[in-house]
Amino acid sequence: MKILVCMKQVPQKDAPLKLNESGTWIREDVSYEVNEPDAYALEEALRQKEKHGGEVVVITAGPARAQQVLREALAKGADRAIHLEDPAFVTLDAANIARAFAAAIKDEKFDLIFTGLQSDDFGFAQTGVILSELLGWPHATIIMQIEKANGGIKVKRELEAGYFQYVEMPLPAVLTIQSGINKLRYATLIGIKQAKNKPLRKVAIADVQSSLVANQLNIRKLYVPQKAKKTEMLEGPAADVARKLIEKLKNEVRVL
Amino acid sequence: MRILVIVEQREGKLNRVSLETLTGAQAIARETGWTLEAAVVGSGVGEIANEVAGKKVAKVYDIESPQLAAYTPDAFVAALKPFLADKKPTAVLMPHTYQVRDFAPKLATALGRALVSDCTGYKKEGDKLLFVRQMFQGKFSADVAFAGEPPYFVTFQTGAFRGDQVEAGASPAAVETVQADVPASALRNKPGEVFKEAKQAVDLTQAEIIVAVGRGIKEEKNIAIAQQLAEALGGEIAASRPICDAGWLPMDRQIGSSGQTVAPKLYVALGISGAIQHIVGMKGSRTIIAVNKDSEAPIFEVADIGIVGNLFEVVPPLVEEIKKARG
Amino acid sequence: MIIFRKPLTGIERPQMEADVVIVGGGPAGLACALRLSQLIDKHNSKHPDQQLTKENIYVLEKAREIGQHCLSGALLDPRSMRELLPGFEKEAPIEAEVTREAVYFLTKGGKFKAPITPPPLRDHGNYVISLNRFAKWLGEKVEAAGITVFSGFAGSELLIEGERVTGVRTDDKGVDKSNQQKGNFEPGYDLKAKVVILAEGTRGSLTKQLVARFHLDRDRNPMTYGVGAKELWELPPGRIAPGEVIYTMGWPLTSCEYGGAWIYGGKDNVISLGFVTGLDYPDPRLDPQRVLQEFKLHPMVRALLEGGKMIRYGAKSLPYGGWWAIPPMAGEGWMILGDSAGFLNSQRLKGIHLAIKSGMLAAETAFEALSQNDFSAARLAGYQRHVENSWIKQELWKVRNFHQGFEHGLWAGMFHAGLQQITGGRGLHARYPATPGHRRLKKLVELPADGGAEAHLINDYKGDSKLTFDKLTDLYHSGTKHEEDQPAHLVIQDTNICNTRCVTEFGNPCQHFCPASVYEMVEASDALSGKQIHLNPSNCVHCKTCDIMDPYEIITWVPPEGGGGPNYEGM
Repeated sequence: MKILVCMKQVPQKDAPLKLNESGTWIREDVSYEVNEPDAYALEEALRQKEKHGGEVVVITAGPARAQQVLREALAKGADRAIHLEDPAFVTLDAANIARAFAAAIKDEKFDLIFTGLQSDDFGFAQTGVILSELLGWPHATIIMQIEKANGGIKVKRELEAGYFQYVEMPLPAVLTIQSGINKLRYATLIGIKQAKNKPLRKVAIADVQSSLVANQLNIRKLYVPQKAKKTEMLEGPAADVARKLIEKLKNEVRVL
Repeated sequence: MRILVIVEQREGKLNRVSLETLTGAQAIARETGWTLEAAVVGSGVGEIANEVAGKKVAKVYDIESPQLAAYTPDAFVAALKPFLADKKPTAVLMPHTYQVRDFAPKLATALGRALVSDCTGYKKEGDKLLFVRQMFQGKFSADVAFAGEPPYFVTFQTGAFRGDQVEAGASPAAVETVQADVPASALRNKPGEVFKEAKQAVDLTQAEIIVAVGRGIKEEKNIAIAQQLAEALGGEIAASRPICDAGWLPMDRQIGSSGQTVAPKLYVALGISGAIQHIVGMKGSRTIIAVNKDSEAPIFEVADIGIVGNLFEVVPPLVEEIKKARG
Repeated sequence: MIIFRKPLTGIERPQMEADVVIVGGGPAGLACALRLSQLIDKHNSKHPDQQLTKENIYVLEKAREIGQHCLSGALLDPRSMRELLPGFEKEAPIEAEVTREAVYFLTKGGKFKAPITPPPLRDHGNYVISLNRFAKWLGEKVEAAGITVFSGFAGSELLIEGERVTGVRTDDKGVDKSNQQKGNFEPGYDLKAKVVILAEGTRGSLTKQLVARFHLDRDRNPMTYGVGAKELWELPPGRIAPGEVIYTMGWPLTSCEYGGAWIYGGKDNVISLGFVTGLDYPDPRLDPQRVLQEFKLHPMVRALLEGGKMIRYGAKSLPYGGWWAIPPMAGEGWMILGDSAGFLNSQRLKGIHLAIKSGMLAAETAFEALSQNDFSAARLAGYQRHVENSWIKQELWKVRNFHQGFEHGLWAGMFHAGLQQITGGRGLHARYPATPGHRRLKKLVELPADGGAEAHLINDYKGDSKLTFDKLTDLYHSGTKHEEDQPAHLVIQDTNICNTRCVTEFGNPCQHFCPASVYEMVEASDALSGKQIHLNPSNCVHCKTCDIMDPYEIITWVPPEGGGGPNYEGM
């Protein structure tokens, strides 16, 4: 099976973030790491390769620093990497990223494309689904399990409130992978050494420019959410407090 | 100019969260003066269309096809794409459910449009509508604007609006049945039955109500008190790190920088001091109630309602009152 | 029952052959790698038919990324960097050039400014740097030079055969709290190396193993230490100029404790502020993080920080022992660099330039060994000779008795220091002895219940969350993260001592001297003392204070699973 894993480099989860001068994005001088859901997508792809053979290719769109994500993926066992390298990718919307990916892989024939279910920075949860539509492929989201079945695959979809569903799909297909479905493997010393010699193809933004359009979504302003928090202290004997709280739970919080 | 809300139905029942989207849409309609319409998608879902028609909307569309009986993204997009191309609404609003996440981006892309997902609200600036969403795991909020032509697709986070505040219509709105042309061959996914499974790890990020305990609970056996409160409220039990470290609750119940980050409708913190490592995991909660003996406990800085007292005295009568209120 | 980290036994470990393994990606290890690369490049261009390869030279770094565990004030004496990379100032990340210094002696409410800056503390020509950023930059150069850096991998054990160090075992990954293999278990590699270069920084764990195994501390002074607690602050503009350097002594410490503070003006209105407390204080209730908070309450400091924001916190120990405490620097298959050896000038409060120089000298010996294919102790001893003939020895010789002079208090120390200044470092004796700091801890019974003169440092405090912070809040700003499900890496030989003897004798000082709240005494109804030790290993900032200061010498710090630890961005 030839699997493409779309990965993103995001600011480290608890890195202190600062707004840039125009207040439209964050300052880039922070620590970065791989988007955690993408790490699970990669792990699933590597497991599929171990089971069925084939190739795992990783792709990312971002500035030079994003290469780290690809290197780590190669060290874990991915075979090839594609780096759409340009700082401009950081502020392109999901649809444009999907278009860039589609253009970069137009000469390849993948059976499956995985993405994480969403990114820890934007949290849009769209790139994979958009990509499937651009490619004209079937897709499924928030996938927990993948099995080969009847010439295609059978996947387990997670639904709300503890519900699940199996879906049979033909290949090729795009799947967005749920986090936490397996234990992430560690890169080994040998893996890191070997990664240095694995192919890493760089694609300039100019090479995919013709597929891109102007952003259809723009962040006008990024800001720290204002919490006009005034703590209301409830006083008195426990029975009174209980009654006061019930009123609030009923009328203000609306959980009763 | 028209707003279209696509409501969600599951097995013949309206997903209540759609009422939240309707409430939001009604608010936007009031501010913009745009017409509000709704649509339901399925097979034999006329009753749901009627239910929605009872709310204050100008019209309801019942988009029907036997291929829409079971949800598949292909069928939904095949049905909605020509419908939207024909009706040309300005804004298409949906709740950010697992199902909507699955097909809405595909639908928007099929029409060459964009979707702003998981919004917590909207703003009107002049004649422009901006949609507010959280970014960087709630550290920042973003005001997002659309560029280009409508329709503009938006999904709203659960709890962004109050479903119980949806306005009823003075009289039922007209319901128009639309026969969608969805050829069976368009469906590439074959969905199986939906089933329930005891999940291996609890996903606190999905819980609407959380009751969390901290060191103030003193002993493992006292967690039962918090569990009673959680049950009475219909919520999940969670804990700050020391409780999970001690093995009194499993690690997947831990809230904080080394556990889960949650933003439920209601977070009740019992005997939690509010160290910053815990606060960062729950400060996005809509309403925070804190009970702590120490009036200087930092938890009170993020709490909406604070009770300085002994949780062993405060919680039991509360549980009783809740059980009474629930009847 | 706490399960402690131990390399798994009875499993097959992957083997990897190496020429040189450098344990530690700090300034010493990186300078060594870079210098070695330069020497190999030069050799290869001159001997095209006898090429040496860099393929088998590795740097092991336990942090997820180079620089994340690097913490220092810091002031860089550019002497060695100019030798390593002439003109480095043009491209290296430098916060500011030192413009002026001031030394203060603080009392509770007042201050005395030293009329002239004592020569050792004159910093003109030095640079204020962020060691984290500097190391990151050096690391990029090392990787660009073609030397593989394995970051996220710790050296957990030395491989020793007979009298020779034959390699390094890396950390076992994917081991759960009970030391059982998890689904993603990866055994640590046995990296077989012709020479192992230890550049682990202060109180290196492999260095400690080496010293114990080969009795390298025979005839040496015991190493003594201090611990620095540091905060980065963002201030309103104009408070302090970039390159302004302030040192303080005195308050909040008394004449019984050794230590003092630094304040360095950086760029973008960010200042580096910290307090070093000598790890030889008598009262076991002393808390170095608390000392830093108390220091900020001094009117001079309070005025400086008013309206500012604390953006990062960290802590690290420093080796103060000086020349007499430095062990033999090379042996059968090993060399020791930088802080691991103890190359720190405690009088000038600088060690980074010495670490870099030691790395360069070790690289020269390593290169000789590589080109002669001779890694015998005799060959590697060349490194020791290089150091003794270099300005490292010249500089450290002059201050060889400096720190020991303070063992009898501040005033005695000043007297000895003055004397040493005019006797080329000799002072009253050729070699001043030293006492390990933890042996100077007094038992609680010998001390006033409220702390006496140290009462202000021992009473209960919460911090005001604007100027002063409780330990957990400070800790949050260190960016510390570890895989939670792993065995405890603070290996305590006998927890019964913690739960019984130590409670009464010293009051469990680990709770106080650990700057990261790793150690806690919690209520235990079934323990005789009513208390038992509880560990929060994932809080650990890798400062090594516990390994140094525990009065019973039962704590051994070993590296946790690689990739975990603080994230000292900008520090």
